[in-house]
Amino acid sequence: MIGCAEFCGYYDWTFEYLRRRFGEEAVSDYWRTAISEDSQRHARELIVGQGIAGMEEYWAQTLEEEEAGYHMQKGEDFFRIDMFACPSLGLLLDRGRQAYHDYCDHCMGWIEPVMEEAGFVIHHEHNHAGQCYWEMRPANDDQGLSAPGEIAGEQDVRALPHWPQVCHHLWLASRRVQKQ
Amino acid sequence: MAAADFYFGINATFRHIYEEYGEAELINYWRAMGEEYFAPVTERFKGGGLPSVAQYWREFFAEEPGSEVEITEETDCVRVEVKVCPALKHLREHERDIMPLYCQHCTEISRAICEPASIMVRVAGGNGNCCQWFCREGE
Repeated sequence: MIGCAEFCGYYDWTFEYLRRRFGEEAVSDYWRTAISEDSQRHARELIVGQGIAGMEEYWAQTLEEEEAGYHMQKGEDFFRIDMFACPSLGLLLDRGRQAYHDYCDHCMGWIEPVMEEAGFVIHHEHNHAGQCYWEMRPANDDQGLSAPGEIAGEQDVRALPHWPQVCHHLWLASRRVQKQ
Repeated sequence: MAAADFYFGINATFRHIYEEYGEAELINYWRAMGEEYFAPVTERFKGGGLPSVAQYWREFFAEEPGSEVEITEETDCVRVEVKVCPALKHLREHERDIMPLYCQHCTEISRAICEPASIMVRVAGGNGNCCQWFCREGE
C-alpha cells in the first residue's frame, strides 16, 4: 500500500516517472487534471464559491494538517501566504532524495487553474529551499505584487536572511517571468 | 506529515494514469514505483527477512490515520490483516469516487518490492478490508 504519510515522496517520484515516460507536457497535464480538477476539488469548490474566504478556509486547514511554517493574511482585495518552512519540499530535502527537476512547480500547476476559474491572479515566488510567498488578487482589480513588508511586515518571507537562493522562480499576475 | 487528504491525490493519480494511458500503463507505473522508489525497502527486506517485513508494516500503518491492522508473524509468513483500510475509509467519508483498480496497487507494488528479496505476496479480499501474506519463496 502507498499511504498518506509519505505522499510527497511518491508525488515527486511520479512527476519524474511521467516526464521520462510521456514527456514534460504530461506532468503539467497531470497537475491540471488529476490534482487541480480531481484531487483538490474540495479546494476548488471553496475558492470558486467563496473567493478569499474560501482560500482562508482551505489553507488554514491544510497547512495546519501538514504542519507547515507559515504566515497567512487576508484583506478585501488580497490573500497572502508567506511560507517559511514548506513541509512538502522539506520532506524531500530532509531525505536528500528528489526525483523531479522542479518539485516546487507543482503548486502553481494545480493552484493557478483554480484561481483562474475563481477570477484571481497569483503573484508567487519560490526559492527552491522551502520558502515562498503567494499573493492572490482579483483579476479585474489587480493592484500588483506588494512591496516587501508592505502587507506581511516582519513575517514577509522576503525579509529572511536565507530567502535569496541561487534559483528563484517568479510569477506575476499568473505569468511566469524572469527575475531581474 | 500524515494528512489524510493526500489519499485524494493517490486516488486521482491512479485514475488519471488509467484514463489517459490505460490499465497496462497503470500497472507499469505501480511496478516501476515498487522497483525504484521503494528500492531501499527491498534492500531492508533482503537484509532483515520476514521480521523486517513485519516491522516495516507496523511502522507504516502507525503513520496512516484511521487504519485498523493486525500484523502476525507466522513461521514462514507475515500476515497483515487490514481490518479498516485508511485510504478507502477516508475516500468514502468524503464521498470520493474510488477508482476501480485502487486495491490492485497493493498487490503490484508489494510484489515489485518483495520479489527481489525472494518474498512472495498474496492478497485476499479488498474494497476496505483485506488480508496480505508475505511468505518466503517456496512456502
